[in-house]
Amino acid sequence: MATEHETETLPGEGGGVYASFIRWMENLSETQFAYFLLTPALLLLGAIAFWPLLSTFRLSLFADAITGTSTVGEFVGIQNYLAVLTGERNALLPAPFIPTSLSVKAIFGSALTVTLIFTIASVFFETIIGFGQALVLDQDFRGRRWARVVIIIPWAVPIVIQGMIFYLFFAPGIGPFVGEGPLSLQQAGILSDSPLQTTIDAAMITIVADIWKTTAFMALLILAGLQSVNRDLYDVARVSGASTWQRFKLITLPIVLPTVLVAMLFRTIQAMRVYGIIEASGVGCSTLPSLSCLVVTSFFGGTRLVGTAATVAFLTAAFIGLVVTVYIIGYAREEGA
Amino acid sequence: MARVQLDDVVKRYDDVTAVDNMNLEIRDGEFVVLVGPSGCGKSTTMETVAGLTHPTSGTVNIGDREVTRLPPKDRGISMVFQNIALFPHMDVYDNISFGLRLREYEKAEIDERVERAASVVQMEGMLDRMPDAMSGGQRQRVAIARAIVREPEVFLMDEPLANLDAKLRVTMRTELQRLHKELDTTIIYVTHNQAEAMTMADRIAVLNAGHLQQIDPPLVCYNEPSNLFVAGFIGSPSMNFARGEVTNDGYRSVNGHLGIEFDPMDAGVQPDQSVTLGVRPEDVYPVADAESADEPSDPVAVTSDVLEPMGDEIFVYLLTNPDADVDLEDQNADNQLLMSVSPDSDIEADEEMDVVFDRSKIHLFDGDSGDAIVHGITNLSTGAGSGTAEAEGDD
Amino acid sequence: MTTSQEDPTVAGSFDERELERGPIQEWVNRAIEDPERAYRAMFYVAMLFFMVTTLFPFYWLLVVAVTPGSSYALVPAGVDLSAFGSVFERIDFLRYMFNSLFLATVTTVFVLLLASLAGYVFGRLEFPGRQPLMLLILAISYFPPAAFFLPLYRLFTGNVFPWLELYNTPGSMVLPFSSLFMPLSIFILTTFYGQIPDGLEDAARVEGTTRLGALFRVIIPLSAPGVATAGVLTFIAVYNEFFFSFLMTDGGAGDWAPIVGGLIQLQRAGQFEVTFSVMAAGSIIAVLPVTILVVVAQEKIVSGLTSGALKE
Repeated sequence: MATEHETETLPGEGGGVYASFIRWMENLSETQFAYFLLTPALLLLGAIAFWPLLSTFRLSLFADAITGTSTVGEFVGIQNYLAVLTGERNALLPAPFIPTSLSVKAIFGSALTVTLIFTIASVFFETIIGFGQALVLDQDFRGRRWARVVIIIPWAVPIVIQGMIFYLFFAPGIGPFVGEGPLSLQQAGILSDSPLQTTIDAAMITIVADIWKTTAFMALLILAGLQSVNRDLYDVARVSGASTWQRFKLITLPIVLPTVLVAMLFRTIQAMRVYGIIEASGVGCSTLPSLSCLVVTSFFGGTRLVGTAATVAFLTAAFIGLVVTVYIIGYAREEGA
Repeated sequence: MARVQLDDVVKRYDDVTAVDNMNLEIRDGEFVVLVGPSGCGKSTTMETVAGLTHPTSGTVNIGDREVTRLPPKDRGISMVFQNIALFPHMDVYDNISFGLRLREYEKAEIDERVERAASVVQMEGMLDRMPDAMSGGQRQRVAIARAIVREPEVFLMDEPLANLDAKLRVTMRTELQRLHKELDTTIIYVTHNQAEAMTMADRIAVLNAGHLQQIDPPLVCYNEPSNLFVAGFIGSPSMNFARGEVTNDGYRSVNGHLGIEFDPMDAGVQPDQSVTLGVRPEDVYPVADAESADEPSDPVAVTSDVLEPMGDEIFVYLLTNPDADVDLEDQNADNQLLMSVSPDSDIEADEEMDVVFDRSKIHLFDGDSGDAIVHGITNLSTGAGSGTAEAEGDD
Repeated sequence: MTTSQEDPTVAGSFDERELERGPIQEWVNRAIEDPERAYRAMFYVAMLFFMVTTLFPFYWLLVVAVTPGSSYALVPAGVDLSAFGSVFERIDFLRYMFNSLFLATVTTVFVLLLASLAGYVFGRLEFPGRQPLMLLILAISYFPPAAFFLPLYRLFTGNVFPWLELYNTPGSMVLPFSSLFMPLSIFILTTFYGQIPDGLEDAARVEGTTRLGALFRVIIPLSAPGVATAGVLTFIAVYNEFFFSFLMTDGGAGDWAPIVGGLIQLQRAGQFEVTFSVMAAGSIIAVLPVTILVVVAQEKIVSGLTSGALKE
């Protein structure tokens, strides 16, 4: 047999810049090659993620420049953080950061507390309902595939449409839950005359909207956890006489719990960023000032509070970080137990 | 076809030196097997030849070209991998023709070459199978066909049979030998299986801890191992070793259980020099069979311990001093010997007996460096310098 | 709730229930004797509840869209499809849809390209700094969009570099979308690449490809399911995005605003300008692409969400 001629080159390697680039790349060590391939992704993340984060943090250390043309005033260190956290800055802000009093109205009307209420309520209900949906989807039944599609669809609905749906439920004189009908929550005294413009009602509506849209995420994750349970364990339990409830409590729950915690963590992170549904449902940031809302409104508001907006943005991130830490500690304890 | 030459090749990873100062010359058309325990650097050496790894220093030549910095595709090599590495999304035809298609061969030529390669490995008529629809042996043959279809100058095989079952491994072994005869290509073959090395190689290169220990034809490695490592690695079961030292009239083991008489001057050793004696299990005989040895040594009193009948032979574990509280883990002490006897032997366990060694098959290794000093002490004079077996009884 | 229909006792009791025509009291007694029956009944009740609560909002959208006039009831008084036409007259709805699909497609392609390379590196190469880098990239997904927003807004409105003004262009959205959604794709692809057998790159390189050639000819085709999964999730995420979609344009169709701009514009116009029916009709049209995607690619969505979230 003839041998391959040694001067044979592969097609497409005419020479010149391309060929020398190829030669250069072929001679990189594995580490160099790894970083070479990562370069585009890291460049993008550096410019559009890490730079803005650092820049936001830097802005938060400068005073607001309410007058004049510069973006921010002089360097003030952590003054902004102190002012925002103590409530000293409340008066300047479009809405208070922390409640000015302990009244229900004040608690719902200030950014930090209303975001926490929104987060706790929606994640709580999503976990319970998501668990229920996961248990249903874990059964063998005809049409299971379609049941799963139905449950996923709300998750895929754009936030603006989610908002529109709830707007069309509660805008004056339209939905079945407002006005005079038998289902009217206004008749039942639960909702006020203009629920979308009433802070507490608006909070309830956005929480329900969030539950409707994102429970699917919870359900899918928990379902994955359920399906990872070794089915033999159930047979073992059945043989030893455990009832269905006992099997659930003693086998399913402990095995699925770590997954549930992870799912709750992800949902908590997302819920604490809430913004879109508030704008899209016609509620608006003035009625329901979430943390993200506060960043945007203080940035775009009549007085340009750039330093304060950056401070609130970073405080939001910090609170999320705090929650993440709590979960990680809880998770570690759960894993250790 | 081409020769392959490695000069002073060193490959260091962080703080581990995988290959240290490797000099290796493989002749045109030669079948060289690299053997050694895992982590000895044999795979790294092969990757250096393939171009999948660049040496830290040193040069690699294939044919009359230096290829040290060339990418694999430009080296005129092909390779068969331990994990077979067929492309799972391509059928047999596409797998075999992958390299040819990259080189934009004419369709007709590709077809012809694929047909030929497939027939060499007896896979004709299966060209449209997908890898996951084939057995391990079939996949391995496709991998070999993929390697031969480009008619490379050098063929690299990295433990190609390691993942096959024992029976298939033997079949594939003979097929590879046939293939080598047919193609007459230079083959470098990596394995940790010494049966493969012994049966297939023109020469075996034994590696340990990144160093080349010996490169010689299989029987030379077997009969004249260049050091303790090669002696222990080649041959199954492994050679018996006994540490000891040179006396005025021969060798005496650490605990004094074993002794061989010869003139130290003739063997090129000094009295008091520390040495290790090596003798293969098949070169140990019960005293009754002493005449089977070319040149029996003085008898050694032993007690048989455990018997392992293998069918065609029996391995007998011998204790040189059954009463002593000895550490059998210390393989190089003189407490235990392994003897291979014919299956019709009537030796039983816990039997006191005498054994002899075949002096012509005794090896002496330097106690410090482990390098071989002498293979066979047949023609060495004993204390009196007569150089014959009869002289053994002299003192 | 952990039984299945294969279980003969459950299936048997269920069949009996179908035949049962006796009074409720008797059924309750039997349920107490045989709790599996009760669980089975609970299953159907729960199932029905979840289906109704999930689908009711869509039903309501449809009701509002087809109801003629302006008095809406749970059962529409008639069917009037004119709202679906009005959407396109009131605003440049087609352009908004195009913008949305365009932004989602461009972002998806961009993310897949970069995340394929990064996922390959994390999934198959060993190198110093691998773990810290993965954590750093993961950390991005913890930060709220608001924490990136201020500098990016100033950057895109030309306040940082006068020559770089991306506000009201696709770039002002594609770039933030890409960097915020890329981490998920990187993690999904890392998982997929990690599952491909070792050594295929070496085989390809020996056969004659370059290193990049091995990636594109062998590894990426093999990870096609992972690439598809990451692609579907990225597409849906961009199509759903609100924050940057809403804030990085003035909201006009010509400003490259996605459907967010269009629907908000309809909503803000108020019912005297645009009827509720038109808003609902616009929503229904805009939700169709993702609905189809969910039906077609639900397996990919499920595997992507679970592997992406649980692996991290």
